Amino acid sequence: MSASLKILHLFPRLLGLNGESGNVDILTLRSEWRGLPVEVTRHDGGTPVGFGDADLVFIGSGPTSAQLLAHPLVLDVAAELRELAADGRPFLAIGAGFQLLGQTIALEGGEVLEGAGVFPVATRHGGTRVVGDFVVESPRLGTVVGFENRGSFVDVGPHGTLGRVVYGRGNTETPFEEGFWEDNLLGTHMHGPILANNPGLADSLLDTARTRRGLAYTDPAPERLREIDDRAREARGTIAANPLSE
Amino acid sequence: MALRTTAAVLVGRAVRVAARLRGGGSAIPGNIALRIDPGFLERTIARIPHGVVAVSGSNGKSTTTNMLAAIIRAHGLSVFTNPSGGNLPQGIASALLSEVSTGGRLNKDIAILEIDEGYGTRLAELLKPRTVLLLNIQIDQLNRYHEPDRVATMLGRVAATSTDGLILNREDNFLVDMDARIPGRTGRRVSFFGGVPSLVDDASHGVASADRFDEGSAVPGSRAAAVEVVALDGARATLAIDPWTDGETGDGVASARTQIEVRLPARGMHYALDAAGAAATARSVLGERFRPELVTRALDTLETVYGRGEMLEVAGEQIEIIMMKNPASLQLNLDSLEGAPEQVFLAVDEGTPDPSWIYDIDFSALDHVDGITGSKAWQFAVRFGYLGIPVGEVDLDVRRALKAFLARPKPATGHKVMILNYEQMMLIRKILGFKELEGGGAA
Repeated sequence: MSASLKILHLFPRLLGLNGESGNVDILTLRSEWRGLPVEVTRHDGGTPVGFGDADLVFIGSGPTSAQLLAHPLVLDVAAELRELAADGRPFLAIGAGFQLLGQTIALEGGEVLEGAGVFPVATRHGGTRVVGDFVVESPRLGTVVGFENRGSFVDVGPHGTLGRVVYGRGNTETPFEEGFWEDNLLGTHMHGPILANNPGLADSLLDTARTRRGLAYTDPAPERLREIDDRAREARGTIAANPLSE
Repeated sequence: MALRTTAAVLVGRAVRVAARLRGGGSAIPGNIALRIDPGFLERTIARIPHGVVAVSGSNGKSTTTNMLAAIIRAHGLSVFTNPSGGNLPQGIASALLSEVSTGGRLNKDIAILEIDEGYGTRLAELLKPRTVLLLNIQIDQLNRYHEPDRVATMLGRVAATSTDGLILNREDNFLVDMDARIPGRTGRRVSFFGGVPSLVDDASHGVASADRFDEGSAVPGSRAAAVEVVALDGARATLAIDPWTDGETGDGVASARTQIEVRLPARGMHYALDAAGAAATARSVLGERFRPELVTRALDTLETVYGRGEMLEVAGEQIEIIMMKNPASLQLNLDSLEGAPEQVFLAVDEGTPDPSWIYDIDFSALDHVDGITGSKAWQFAVRFGYLGIPVGEVDLDVRRALKAFLARPKPATGHKVMILNYEQMMLIRKILGFKELEGGGAA
């Protein structure tokens, strides 16, 4: 059996409003074009299948209506997910999915939902919705850009973040830091296909996954990825030079 | 009050003339008129004898409003309508300015108005529509509306204001049971339009209805349709229309239906559904005066709305404009292309603040893109890179990119295709010397 990288895509049907499944496609292509095959397992609820083999876990965002429906399904697999996280498998969690994998979500009506407890963060829905370009300076990756669209605050405590907010709001009322990034766990409200503009982030997740398995690329720098990465650099530059919001 | 209205009309008109000379800014005159006389819009509209028909939804508002106005006119009524895109209060006020007397009177029988879903609630209060037509709820402008559920709630409020007629798309996940989710009203007739299942399923991405996660009381397609698309052949569709009955229950008798053939603005099931929606609304508004054959006549001679299946003639060459308003409209328009176009140009700017959704679009209708411009060009280039769709040139300078595209050889088959967002469509029309305002320069 040839070695392959296994991506677990959680709740693609409920959570994936903003082209977020693009992230899974991008991870897959970036690995396969370098000679490392990828298998994607999609989990939409029910008995967890293939969780133990997952090398990388992705969960996207969605409207509150979908988040509420996904909530019990997430709790069903919470123990399995915490195990994967503790075992060093990389996670990329976005928006509503990031919130569901946290400790708690306080809804606007006052109800508090329990999260899966993968990320040590707490979410509070409410406040003025922030919508617009999002520029973050990451100590590890440099400029990370995307789009922010959220009506909630996330408290990440003293933990590490994706980076410092250059344009946009970020985790809390005070524009300062965005998301959560420690070891193998990355969560953010930079929604949509965040990996499209930021291939460095994709490669970092893939490297964490590969290293744990001891898997190597046969062609680490194929020409077509170089071309795409040049375009992504231009895209980041265009957004960072003139970010806009509503 | 009367003096104030006269001032509003005169100043607004003067601004309108100035704006037209510049070739843009269609909402500004209305904005100014409303500032001088805030009650101008509401008062003028309230005096229209047959009242207001409001048309809303994520996609097809302009096309359908245009169709409906033509059908109603074919029945002998005079119609006030707003030009495409002018669907906010100031846009409607701008349109009024060219039609009212200086005393603020409008000599029309009925108003057929496209209204923006985000302003729907406010506009419905202002315009008090007797009849409401809702077309669809698709993933659209999430930067503005955040989630489709919110759009459904907003359109529900608009639907609830209708007193005489409510016309809904039964193929839409959110609209199929909209009548059951709003307070009922005595005297309001609810009717549906749709397509036969084979046509709805055949459209490769269906009707692109947004996913709905709560429990609906009816599944899409399950309601009896007063007007149904029963056949589709290129840009021609056959509609089956229920006869009008006084007791209108919505349960049509199939055997007594009239079949008519209609011309669409371009290929595509979404246009056929727009035509069905327009016919169903005319039927609801006119009742026993409605004549199905006049639908055929009206749609046969209809001019297309900008960028909705429109062909532009540039230097003796036909260029098809596909407006990329949102994911659903782009997907449906890509699906209706006949083969991959030989020459394709794409222009997208900040008017589409967050193009994340291009990762949900099936671009397999394209085998390459010759040129991309606009501030979002590089994001599209990345997407095409991952899809393995070759990209000719990315140039953020719109004029230069457009010039290069126009200089490309005429395709051996078909015509050049430009895929544009609304803002780029307006800009490029202007660059190419099409100076009229949106609305086809009516008046």
